[in-house]
Amino acid sequence: MTSFIVRRLLLAVPTLIGVTIITFVLIHIAPGGPALALAGEKATPAQILALTHQLGLDKPWLEQYALWLGALLHGDLGFSYLKQQPVLALVAQRLPQTMLLMGFALVVSVLIAVPLGVYQAYRRNTVFDRTASVAVFVAWSMPTFWFGTLLIAVFAVTLRWFPVGGLQTIDTTAFDWPSRIAHLVLPAATLAIVSMAGWSRYIRGSMVDQLREDYTRTAVAKGLHTRTVLFRHTLRNALIPFITLLGGTLPALFGGAIITEQIFAYPGMGQLYWQSAVNRDYTTLLGMTVITAVLVILGNLLADVLYGVVDPRVRYD
Amino acid sequence: MTEAAIVLPVDEAGDAPRRHRARLSGVAAFSLFWIVAVAIACFAVPVLLGMNPDTTDVAHAYAAPNARHVLGTDGLGRDELARLLAGGRITLSVGAIAALVAMLIGTLYGAVSGYYGGWFDTLMMRIVDVFLSIPTLFLLLFLAAMFHGNLLTLMIVIGVTSWLGPARLVRGEVLTLKERLYVEAARSIGANDRRIIFGHVVPNAAGTIITTTTFMIASAMLAETALSYLGIGVRAPMPSWGNLLTNAQSDIFAGAWWLILPPGFAILISVCAFNFLGDWLRELGERSMAGS
Repeated sequence: MTSFIVRRLLLAVPTLIGVTIITFVLIHIAPGGPALALAGEKATPAQILALTHQLGLDKPWLEQYALWLGALLHGDLGFSYLKQQPVLALVAQRLPQTMLLMGFALVVSVLIAVPLGVYQAYRRNTVFDRTASVAVFVAWSMPTFWFGTLLIAVFAVTLRWFPVGGLQTIDTTAFDWPSRIAHLVLPAATLAIVSMAGWSRYIRGSMVDQLREDYTRTAVAKGLHTRTVLFRHTLRNALIPFITLLGGTLPALFGGAIITEQIFAYPGMGQLYWQSAVNRDYTTLLGMTVITAVLVILGNLLADVLYGVVDPRVRYD
Repeated sequence: MTEAAIVLPVDEAGDAPRRHRARLSGVAAFSLFWIVAVAIACFAVPVLLGMNPDTTDVAHAYAAPNARHVLGTDGLGRDELARLLAGGRITLSVGAIAALVAMLIGTLYGAVSGYYGGWFDTLMMRIVDVFLSIPTLFLLLFLAAMFHGNLLTLMIVIGVTSWLGPARLVRGEVLTLKERLYVEAARSIGANDRRIIFGHVVPNAAGTIITTTTFMIASAMLAETALSYLGIGVRAPMPSWGNLLTNAQSDIFAGAWWLILPPGFAILISVCAFNFLGDWLRELGERSMAGS
C-alpha cells in the first residue's frame, strides 16, 4: 500500500511537468501578449516594449519556463501583475470558497443521487423508473447558465428566498454563517443538478447489477427486510465503482464552477480563472492550472486508495 | 407501510427485455425524428420561405408573438423564428463539426496507441492523463478566449478539447480487436499496419465510434452555449442558440418573456435527443454483443 502511494506520487511528477509545459506552450502561441492587456489599448508601442522587458517576456520561452519552474520548486507561484498580488495569495483567498461550494454541491447531489438510483433499481422498468430516467436525462442536457438563471429568476428575484449572488451580505464584515449558506444554496443547486443526473444513472445501473448477484438472492431468501437487503447488502457493493467515479469528476467540478461562479458572481477559483484568461494574466493562469492539476491527481489517488479500503479484493501491485 | 418484496432480475434474458427495448426505441425514435425535423427546419425552411434573420424593423421591436411574427420579435424588431432557425443552423453545425474534429483526433490517437501497444501505448496514454489533469473547461475557455475569431476556430477549439474521452474508448476497443483472427489473416497476406488499422480494426470499432460521436455532438452544442454565454463563442450579429438564450436573459427586463423559451427548449430538447440516441445506440451495441 505504502509503496503503491509512493509510486503513484512519483508518477505524478512527470504528469505535473507535462501540465506546466502544455500550459506554457499554449500561453506562448496565443496571439496578443500579457503586456498588451496590462498596458491597455492606449499604450504606445514603446510602453508595451518596456513593459514586456520588465515582465521578462522578451527572454526565450525556454529560459522563462526554467525561471518559472525554478521559482515553483521554491513554492513561489509567481506574481500577478494584473492584481498586484502573489498568485499564491490570490489562490489562497479563492480556493476555500470554491471548495466550500463544491463540497456543498457534492453532498447535495450524493444525497439525491443515491436514494434516487437505489429506488429506481428497486422499482426498475416501472412508470416511476422511466419518468425519473427521462427527467435525469433532461437535467443532464441542460445548459448550466440557463438553469442557473432560471433559479435566480424564480427563487431570488420573484420569491426572494435567496440572494441573487455574491459571497455574503455586503454590510457584514465578519464571517456570517447563515448569510454564507444562504448565498451557497442557488449556485450549489445549479452544480448539483448536473452531477446528480450522471450519478443517479450510474448508481441505478450498478444496483441492478448487484441485485443479480447470488449474495442478494441469499439475503432475500433468508427473509431479510427489503430495506436491509437494499442498503446493507446491495448498496454497499454498488457504491464501490462509484468511488472511482467521484475521483474522476473532480476536474469536471472545478471546470463546472467557472460558469456557475460567473452567474452568481461568486468569488471562487472559476471566477479568478476566467478573469485571468480574459486579461491574459498568464502567471495566474499557470499557477491555477498547476494547483488544480495537483488537486485532480491527489483526488484520483485518494479514490484508488479508498477503493482498496472498501474492497479488500483489490490488490496494489 | 407494507413492504413490497424485491423483484430479483434472476434471469438476465427474462428481465423484461421486450418492454425495456420498446421504451427505448420509442424515445429513440422520437429523438431521431426530432433531430431530422430540426435539421430540415433550420437548413431548408428559411431558404424555401425566404426568411431573413437580420432584417430589422424597429417600429415593431419587442412585439409579442402574433400572426406575422409567430415567435415575436427581439429588441431590434428581428423575427425571432427566423433567428431561431438561423441560430439552429449555426449551433448544429458547431456541434457536428466539433464532434467530427474530436472523433477524428481521438480515433486516430486511440487506434494507433492501442494497435502498437507496449511502451508506445503507455507513453501515449500518459500524455492523455496529463491533459486529463487540466479541467476541460479551463483549456476550452483559455483557447476560446485567445483565439476568439470566426466560426471555424470555435469549432476547432471545441473539437481539440474533447478528443480525450474518444481516444480512450477507441484505444480500449482496439486492444481487443487487434487480437482477432481477421487481423492475423490480414497480416499473413502481407497487409501493412496502416491498412490493418484503417481497413480492418477501425471499421470494426464503428459501433463505439458512432455512439461516442452522438454524445460528442450533444456536449459540443452545450459547449457552444456556454462559450456564447461568456461572450467568447459565436459573435454577436450572427445568431446561435447560445447567443439567443444569452441575449434573452437581458430581454426579460424589457418584458420580452417570449424570447427566453424558444432557444432554451430548442437546446434542451436537441441535446436530450442526441443523448437519448447515443444511449440507445450503446444499448443496441451491448445487446448485439451479448447475443453473439
